[in-house]
Amino acid sequence: MASTVAQKRLFHEYKNLSTNPPEGITAGPVSEDDMFYWEALIQGPEETPFEGGVFAAELKFPRDYPLSPPTMKFIGVYPNGTVCISILHPPGDDPNHYEHASERWSPIQSVEKILISVMSMLAEPNDESPANVEAAKMWRERRAEYEQKVRDEVKKGLGL
Amino acid sequence: MSDEEPSLNIPSLLTLAVVSYFVIRWFFNRDESAAGGSRGRGRGNVVDPAQVEQIAQMFPQLSTRDIMWDLQRNGGSVAATTERILTGRGLLLRSNLRSQSPPTNIPPTQTATAASAPKADAQDLISRYNLSAKAESPPAELQSEAPSKSTWSQNKEERQRILQKRRDDMILAARRKMMQKNQGNAQ
Repeated sequence: MASTVAQKRLFHEYKNLSTNPPEGITAGPVSEDDMFYWEALIQGPEETPFEGGVFAAELKFPRDYPLSPPTMKFIGVYPNGTVCISILHPPGDDPNHYEHASERWSPIQSVEKILISVMSMLAEPNDESPANVEAAKMWRERRAEYEQKVRDEVKKGLGL
Repeated sequence: MSDEEPSLNIPSLLTLAVVSYFVIRWFFNRDESAAGGSRGRGRGNVVDPAQVEQIAQMFPQLSTRDIMWDLQRNGGSVAATTERILTGRGLLLRSNLRSQSPPTNIPPTQTATAASAPKADAQDLISRYNLSAKAESPPAELQSEAPSKSTWSQNKEERQRILQKRRDDMILAARRKMMQKNQGNAQ
């Protein structure tokens, strides 16, 4: 029963994302036989080192979606691409004690909002709580090098 | 009419009248009491606070007002309200969730990840999605079959195909753009 609600909701979101896709975002289930596993492409935001790049991520939805948030992970070129962003945290737990409830996951959020949030995260990484400590250090201390590295990876990601 | 049906006499007409009277009276009474009941509920503000509380706990983002409004409209059914929220239709139905939320409206999200500076191994998108053939073909050809971006098919396979095409196009377009930029830089 619960998973029918989830499936219905995911299908609905899939349809919305297809008929009215946000700029620079493509997302949908890898196969409609499993609505709980999606892949998404996000374009690198302009005027950032990610500009021009396309980033693929997988989204895994729990059976009780949208009560619980999905998990999101970048795939391809990243050592550990698990996305850690407040919108993916359930409202109950706040490991960092600085997120407002409204910034965390709730059923009125959506895949689209997650992807847009992630896009803006690329533009303004938060080095307070980095997924990749080394990258965050480089970002803080050697910005030019960081940006060059990102640009290289962007090209690599496109097979160039 | 009574000429053709002489058997229709006064007593049977009376009986019919009486029976219909009771049937009609019963019918209207029932409606009235139902209507009266719901009116009473509406006027007396009587969305049960416990129900509001229950929903507010599940969905802390929603304002109490919206919850009460929705509950009142559907006659106090927590299940109906929950279902409506869960299916993403939004509470007030002024518009659905999507149109209420242009990108600028997303809650100011605390981001908690520095974009990871990636490591080198690994698969690029071209090989991941088997696009090398398409990547080589001349851009003009690709552009000519420009995607009708926002389509939705009733057919499952068709939808799958459209999604795949949008994905491929996005990657290939980015690749082309990047190549042009590189050439520009090189000159």
